[in-house]
Amino acid sequence: MKMKNILIGVSCTLGLQLAATATSGTPDLFALRVGSAETVSHGTIPHAVILIEHGKIVTIGQDLEIERGIPVIDRPDWVAMPGFINCYSRAGMTSFGSNGTVPSVQSSTEFYASQAIYGDLLDVGVTTLGLYPPGNGIPGQAVAVRTSGSSAQDMILEDSVYLKMLMRSNASSKKMIRKAFEEADDHKEDVEKAREKWEKDTEKWEKDQKKKKDDAKKNEGSSVKPSDGDEDKGPGDFVEPTPNGTAAAFIDLRKGDLSALISIRKAGDYLHLVDALGEEDFDWVLRVPLRDDIDLYEVADQLAEDKRTIIIEPRLTLMAWTMRERNLPAELSTAGANVVFVPNGDDLNSHKKWRFHVGHVVKRGMDYQSALRAMTLGPAEVLGLGDRLGSLDVGKDANMLFFSGDPLQPASRLEMVMIDGEFVSDEVVR
Amino acid sequence: MLLKKKRFLTPAVALVGAALFTAPILAAPFTIEDAEDEEPDAYMAVQGGDIYTGTGEILRGATLLSKNGKIEEIGYNLYLPKDTEVVDAKGLRVYPGLVALSASTRMSLGTFAPGLEFHEFTPHNEFEGVCGDCGKSLEEIIPPALDPGETTTEHLAVEGIKSDFDDSYDPFNGYLVMALGNGITTMQQSTTALKMLRGRIDGVTMADKSMTSFSWSGFNPSGKADLREKFRAGNQYLIDLRRWQELVKKDKELKEPSRKGIDSRVLSVLQGETMAKFSSNDRDDLLGIARLAQANKFRPVISGCVEGWIVAEELGRAGAFAIVTPRTRSDRSEELSRESGSSIENAAILHAAGVQVAVVPANTSVDLGGISGRDLLHLPIEAGFAVRGGLSDKAALESITIVPARLLGVDHRVGSLEIGKDADMILCDGDIMHYQTFVQYAIVNGTQVYDKEDEIFYAHIRPRGEVAVDPGEAVPEAVEAE
Repeated sequence: MKMKNILIGVSCTLGLQLAATATSGTPDLFALRVGSAETVSHGTIPHAVILIEHGKIVTIGQDLEIERGIPVIDRPDWVAMPGFINCYSRAGMTSFGSNGTVPSVQSSTEFYASQAIYGDLLDVGVTTLGLYPPGNGIPGQAVAVRTSGSSAQDMILEDSVYLKMLMRSNASSKKMIRKAFEEADDHKEDVEKAREKWEKDTEKWEKDQKKKKDDAKKNEGSSVKPSDGDEDKGPGDFVEPTPNGTAAAFIDLRKGDLSALISIRKAGDYLHLVDALGEEDFDWVLRVPLRDDIDLYEVADQLAEDKRTIIIEPRLTLMAWTMRERNLPAELSTAGANVVFVPNGDDLNSHKKWRFHVGHVVKRGMDYQSALRAMTLGPAEVLGLGDRLGSLDVGKDANMLFFSGDPLQPASRLEMVMIDGEFVSDEVVR
Repeated sequence: MLLKKKRFLTPAVALVGAALFTAPILAAPFTIEDAEDEEPDAYMAVQGGDIYTGTGEILRGATLLSKNGKIEEIGYNLYLPKDTEVVDAKGLRVYPGLVALSASTRMSLGTFAPGLEFHEFTPHNEFEGVCGDCGKSLEEIIPPALDPGETTTEHLAVEGIKSDFDDSYDPFNGYLVMALGNGITTMQQSTTALKMLRGRIDGVTMADKSMTSFSWSGFNPSGKADLREKFRAGNQYLIDLRRWQELVKKDKELKEPSRKGIDSRVLSVLQGETMAKFSSNDRDDLLGIARLAQANKFRPVISGCVEGWIVAEELGRAGAFAIVTPRTRSDRSEELSRESGSSIENAAILHAAGVQVAVVPANTSVDLGGISGRDLLHLPIEAGFAVRGGLSDKAALESITIVPARLLGVDHRVGSLEIGKDADMILCDGDIMHYQTFVQYAIVNGTQVYDKEDEIFYAHIRPRGEVAVDPGEAVPEAVEAE
């Protein structure tokens, strides 16, 4: 796909050329000079120069000198920022779901790459998706995909990025979580039992072997010889019994190999969730759909104190029983919780308007940098890809968006999308 | 907004205090960890209000001190420990939190608390541990299921009880705040007595299944006969059982009386595990229930009880509880020569005859849509109508506090302001049964959970600053216009 030769040294006309080609190759190493860069991790860099090699950012800084011979793409009117990441989506997937506890289900198995929606999402700036399994209870594990590519193999970034759970304020919901951890406990017991048995067997076998040797020594000289044919190989190495799907997932949770995304509906659910989890200690983030009269502000302090990551829509809500508006994203973020945004809907249009909605929440009081983070690095961390994606930092994938101005201003246009160092978007998206 | 709980006593102070205290007792095992682990005691004082204790006197301008959610002391010139949270109740009346019976609709449906199946619970056997060779006669050993003179149902409560409400309670629900704003701090949902906690979910259920419902109706004579027989058989079984329990000590071969055919619900009433509840309004039915109860030594709870005033004496002798709605109207029957129909004096007459009267409004939902004035938020107003019919203020207060608490089996914890009980109270700017009175503050478990000024419901009506002029405070002189 790479057409290296075309672009080397033609930096000044690059923009025009890109408009004409569907997918344009970029050189292995090139520099980008933009008006400013929103790094997300360390603020805004004016007059930023970004050096990209093999699809990764190798240098980023203000007014850096560019070595002679390195092709330069010079766009002083552009504002660069990391690609949008929606960590909680079902884009391109059906809504057939399971009920109950099936944590071993992988949503990657139902992922079908060749769908227009992924390309469309890329065009509006969404470079990474976290696709969750559908259903109630504990429906399974999510997969992280890039929105560019033609095959599942090409697109899947990481499987088993989080385990999805639904938690409601009722006895069965709380029991479901406790029971799943109990299965993990049961498995631990099974392993211990199996090990004990193995140890006993080994001991016995060793004794037997010794006895046999002694017997052999005693019988030396006599005509009776131990037959070589049925030599006992012993119990061998210890093999752990394989856990069932539920136990395996929850053992992984406890070990930290897997994190959880727990969906709740209201403030009261959070208290019941904390109660149900009890002493269990594992990584989990919260998902709360922001409906109009949500009372999440009741637990804002607690969410902040717990340093909780919380996935919400960029939306103003009404205080329960009133027509008073509340800016929960701003409130939670100011209190100290880690806010992560998802678009207001899972359709293309909602993704297109995502940044406008975020802009509105910012206009109404949310911190600008926190808002940018909530669309990039925040969701990247939810997917466990915080070291690869989500900010303009050295060593990270060159997934970038270029706007004609402030990304959260409705008047700014999305001029270009770059994924893994390649410009992919061929149209200007408003 | 919830009042932030202050940290009482810093750990360092607690440590020093504890160290000084234990110093002379060197043998006492004391480690630094012990002191640090201990939560400092939380004190709250409601100061200077007129305290309506409910079961006792009215203490004017007194102070109530609570420690860790329980009432520690009530009186004058109390010593307040350091860092006590003080609520100024000057000019306010302090009442026990109201207890709402059979709250329905919004409170048990919707998002507040789904009406799910409930855990069964088996209370301890009342008959266990009766003496073996103490020389008492069988009659003496077998107590009546409920002594008609007994005024408490404390034995109905079980410590540490849980219901499904513990897993579904929403401590941020708006209806909850509304109920608190109208003085209700304990509520019956389905069969469970719930504490109206705000912002927390531990210890929601106080008691479960304190009452068992039975049907008794003149329209169903065979049903009446059946029930009568069930109670007779149940009582006979209990007598046989006790006799066997005594005799089996000498004759091990003796066979235990069979429980076959004995109604377990009847048995739970006769053993004092639950109370028998009837829904009845008709005079003849009420009389029937009274006789059934007297014959079988249990105290009936009669909901409705519209014609109770006609047979009040009989109900009183049967030790009945009545759950009445004073505003219920039912015309006198022209076909009958006897008295019939409702009376505004019902509650007063029943109370005078010794019936314990509880009041519920006509509609037990928490609602603002269309039935305003007759829903659960008007519980004290409904009691006010009992006063209009001649019931004393004190008995009217009891009818929405301690009596319903007894019916729910939680009267050892709520329903009156007594030392050792839960610090659940409401601070009102007037008589609780007056229509103009507002609950200014509600306190549950020694924590302020409602402040009229901070909630959306009533803050705009007569804001506190405008009415509460402290007599000691100088009124600012009017500035004359030039």
